[in-house]
Amino acid sequence: MRGDFAQWWRHRDKSFWVWLLAVAVLLVLVINPLLRLVLASFQQPNGTFTLAYYAAAYGRVRHLDALINSLVLGASAATLCLAFGLPLAWALSRTDMPGKGLVWVSILGTFIIPPYLGAVGWMLLAGPNAGWLNRAFVALAGTDAGPFNIYSMPGLVLVTACYSFPYVFVFAKSALDLLSSEMEDAANILGAGTLRTTLSITLPLVLPAIVAAFILVFLEAIALFGTPALLALPGRFHVVTTQLWQFFEHPPRVGVAAAFAMPLLCITVLLFWVQHRITRRKGYVALTGKGGERRPVRLGRWKWPLLGYCLAVCMLSFFLPMVVICQAAFAKAWGRGFSLDNLTLRNLHFTLFENSLTRNATLHTFLYGGAAAVIALALALCLAYVVHRQLVSRRLGDVLSFVTMAPFVIPGIVLAIGFYAAYTQPPLALYGTAWILILAFATRFLPIAYANSAAAIRSINPELEDAVRILGGTRFTAIRHVVAPLLKRSLAGAFIVVFIPATRELSAAIFLYSTNTQVLSVLLFDKSDEGNFEMLASIGLILVFITVVLILAGFRLMGRDFMLRRTAA
Amino acid sequence: MSWLRSHIGLACAFLAAAAAGPLHAQMQAWEKALYEAAKSEKEFTVYTAHYTTETAANLCSAFDKKYPGVQCKFVRTTAQVAMQRFQQDLKANVAVASVFSSTDVGHFPELKKQGVLMAYRPRNLDNMVDSLKQYNDKDGYYHVTSAGLVLLSYNNSVVAEKDAPKKWTDLLDPRWKGKVSIGHPGFSGYVGTWVVEMRKLYGWDYFERLEKNSPQIGRSVNDTVTMLNAKERWVAAGPDAGTLLSRDKGNPLSVSYPEDGALLMVSPTGIPKNAPAPNAAKLFVEFLLDREAAEIQVKDRSQVVVKGVRPLLGAKAMDEIKLIRPTEEEIETGIPEVKEKFRDTFGI
Repeated sequence: MRGDFAQWWRHRDKSFWVWLLAVAVLLVLVINPLLRLVLASFQQPNGTFTLAYYAAAYGRVRHLDALINSLVLGASAATLCLAFGLPLAWALSRTDMPGKGLVWVSILGTFIIPPYLGAVGWMLLAGPNAGWLNRAFVALAGTDAGPFNIYSMPGLVLVTACYSFPYVFVFAKSALDLLSSEMEDAANILGAGTLRTTLSITLPLVLPAIVAAFILVFLEAIALFGTPALLALPGRFHVVTTQLWQFFEHPPRVGVAAAFAMPLLCITVLLFWVQHRITRRKGYVALTGKGGERRPVRLGRWKWPLLGYCLAVCMLSFFLPMVVICQAAFAKAWGRGFSLDNLTLRNLHFTLFENSLTRNATLHTFLYGGAAAVIALALALCLAYVVHRQLVSRRLGDVLSFVTMAPFVIPGIVLAIGFYAAYTQPPLALYGTAWILILAFATRFLPIAYANSAAAIRSINPELEDAVRILGGTRFTAIRHVVAPLLKRSLAGAFIVVFIPATRELSAAIFLYSTNTQVLSVLLFDKSDEGNFEMLASIGLILVFITVVLILAGFRLMGRDFMLRRTAA
Repeated sequence: MSWLRSHIGLACAFLAAAAAGPLHAQMQAWEKALYEAAKSEKEFTVYTAHYTTETAANLCSAFDKKYPGVQCKFVRTTAQVAMQRFQQDLKANVAVASVFSSTDVGHFPELKKQGVLMAYRPRNLDNMVDSLKQYNDKDGYYHVTSAGLVLLSYNNSVVAEKDAPKKWTDLLDPRWKGKVSIGHPGFSGYVGTWVVEMRKLYGWDYFERLEKNSPQIGRSVNDTVTMLNAKERWVAAGPDAGTLLSRDKGNPLSVSYPEDGALLMVSPTGIPKNAPAPNAAKLFVEFLLDREAAEIQVKDRSQVVVKGVRPLLGAKAMDEIKLIRPTEEEIETGIPEVKEKFRDTFGI
């Protein structure tokens, strides 16, 4: 008997336990709050079943309008994100375009600017009465009024896309970085030009990454609260999140809010089904054991127009709003506009050196963001590996994928309340500690980590691991010596896309922080609540500056010439 | 070594006693007793929606300095979030807050009804501005510790003082078409109360007519400060504190106290029954009604609730202006009504 057991144990794939642990963690972090949400939409306080919440949520034309507006916003913003993000990703990953460093840093900067700060910047740029762009237009064209109005659906779409397209960029770029030039060469040899090759070979190969990114930005756009609150309300329309907020007014109608959030969950399911249809039964393996060379595409005379396009996108998303933010951050009184006697370093000095609140908050923000990113990434990798190497059945894999992606559409406030309820009492009394924030951030951004990891794992040919296992290595050996090194660059990208949103996360943080765990996003929100734009801008500027420096330093330390062509992986 | 340590300990104790001496001498018997009891509780947490974060921090550190050995911690957030957190605490049966301060007066009758507040009548109540005393709870469950105004505000680089609106109905003048900024009653208690009061004074017709002037609608009452500074809008129904703070920095903003009355907002403080540090909480409530706390608040442009502390330049004291305010019932029943009506009239 004992011998049998020992033999069974020896042959047993030990990695099984790791996967089991990952699934268990997923249960705790996601299923629990999700279940609460669904239950809340059907359950009266005394526990009886009711449909009254659905009647209340969908019984008004105004509420339905909000739903339609959100769908329009999500679809348009996601499309615009592709138009912004894909050419930039291709240009930076596959071409010999000049000025790559500048474009890369401004995309990074764009990503770090909290969307509501960017929205405030745009209010000043394209406000219908006094927006700088409108005033410039009036001065140049001699008309009575400028053409731009940021308080409109197109305005909202533009601003939303400006601060979401980096997701598309990072996803597409990390997929493009893995492609070798051979397949493109084949097309070239057969007579296709650069454009045709790009459209019919390169883009389809990175389709999984594009679809994943599209879904992500669509969900991000419909789950965003700050930007619509700033732009849609003055534009006199509602979206789902601003409507949801109203259900949370005192006394909060959690049931109605939960019922109103259900379409978001349904849309997520639908999107995954579509993704499944698009990408099934096709091979997207780009990274095999056969080496493969990568050469940048020579653009010739097209390099300047492409650079022009890249800079135009960066202008909209980064440079123009940054001018506004800098003006406010360095102004004694930003309402007085540009003038030398209005310049001061006091705001920045106060924020950095005099105010221990902001200093601690800065430190916490980066610590928690980093820890959350590591946790989310580790968990996401395990799950993506389990699902895509089919260590579990296909159906269970689909369920796991869905559950992992679900936190993205749970309104942050609902997730926070779920966390609060679950972790303020033993056995997991985390309230008041940094862990509750870190876990909440990790859960919130797990979908991003997962979408990224899944796309990366799909692109690696399983034969590479099979080789290790045939030669007697365990699965862990294969992962450590083959998969992990191959994924390093994708993971660096994934780390950034989780770390950055975690540093600017607000809706969960505001419920879970305590005196000793203050973070910058909450401070930023307070400043906007107080109408203190000078401090708002200087905290925002510090956030952007420190994050850019940290990330650039991180890349240096990793020893990778991240902008240049990939050497041996 | 131990000799040295014990002597350092002694010296420290002596110094501490010397430093605290004069303070103790000023303390009255009840205050001293409260302080002694609070010391054994060591620390306490305040949930507050009053003040700015800096003011909250300044008040806490002033308290720490006045009463060494009792550490003040605070969680500063918006009124709805503060309430939500407090309710979650109750549900989860964890006691965190020893003091609860909200800007939404509606929260307090409800908490009182829930039976989760502790009755405590502060000794320093005599210091309170007389006109505010009517807003304290008659059974002593909560007391006003902060106040603010909704008034007319404008950008003085585009609107001269003589042209500025003088009363609420001036906002309906067609010359302000496309130039008015207001908040949303669904997002701000200040705006909600203001809408209730305007309806009381001028009927809903006021908002039908205001709509014709296409005002810009932000969320919080403080959004008007941003809009005026940007010159996107010229006149507003705005807050006193936010506008004056921005003006103190040099921004071209002014306030105009409406002839038909500035809207008074009062923000009470209560002590939860399950307060982990009830004595420290009582001591803190006393502190908020003391001159020291008032002088800290005055710098941040809060309306002062303590007698005899003058506001800074550009602002008027409460006894110099006409104040208006709906009754508690009018607010309680009115706000949900006007939110719906507001949405019907303005479409959001």
